[in-house]
Amino acid sequence: MKTAFHHLRYAVIGAGLLAAQPALADGDVKCGAGPQSGWKELGQVQKKAWQQGWEVLKVQVEGDCYEVYARTQQGQAIEAFFHPETLEKLVVFRRGREIFRKDGFKG
Amino acid sequence: MLRRGLPKAVFWLVLALPGGLMLADFAGGGVLAMDLLHPSGEMAVRLMLLALLVGPLIDIFGPGRFLRAWLAARRNLGVAAFCYSALHLLFYAFDMRMLSAMLDEMVLPPIWTGWLSFLALLAAASISNDRAMRRLGRRWKQLQRLVYPAFLLGIVHWLLLGWFWGPALVHLLPLILVWTARFLALRKRRARHEGLPT
Repeated sequence: MKTAFHHLRYAVIGAGLLAAQPALADGDVKCGAGPQSGWKELGQVQKKAWQQGWEVLKVQVEGDCYEVYARTQQGQAIEAFFHPETLEKLVVFRRGREIFRKDGFKG
Repeated sequence: MLRRGLPKAVFWLVLALPGGLMLADFAGGGVLAMDLLHPSGEMAVRLMLLALLVGPLIDIFGPGRFLRAWLAARRNLGVAAFCYSALHLLFYAFDMRMLSAMLDEMVLPPIWTGWLSFLALLAAASISNDRAMRRLGRRWKQLQRLVYPAFLLGIVHWLLLGWFWGPALVHLLPLILVWTARFLALRKRRARHEGLPT
């Protein structure tokens, strides 16, 4: 029994170490957009996501970004941030880990 | 342990209410499965925390009436935490839809920590009955301590998914506080017992 607890302890410590890897909170993305009056419509970003081959679950405003929750064709759960004025795909997360970032985007 | 009868039934009704509302919302089509992941997981973590807090509190303050009642409900809190983690898993399965997609992401740290947390809680919940308690003897208490790794893994799972430190720390802090307070109280008591200066 003791060894089982030891294994679990290692698992917890291991997970803690993995947590120490640098990452960006996906709630902190800054797209650098102007006032909402200049934004494209929500439906357009939905279409944009659909064009990626994704199945869109939800689109919402997050800070100064459009945030899309979607599934890729392989069924991967992803969160993508689009610029609300240019509709450019800026950054994509999969389960808290960044899997895409537009060249030069620092937000 | 809670006595059978009305108080226990009312207590369980209260514990089950948020879950019932989540299921009703989901069945009614008002919310997506992904929107229920957070509330169901959070309930599981909070119930685990409540189950874990009472032991140290009794060590610190002694068994008053309030703490004794809380202790009597501990098993129910733990089993309810398991029920919410099972609900969490159910919503996850609905959200992912494909088993292949679930297996595919099982290797990701934010996901396997969640699975491991669930398994530890499952093991503890499966022996949360009098028969297992009698049969396992001293090992029963050791096995019940699986709730600690379940809780910590649950917190890490939560943290890795969104990198929001606030909620993770808010749920971890009470446990750290009571553990520290218990350590200090026990040391003071031992020192007094041995006639050492405190």
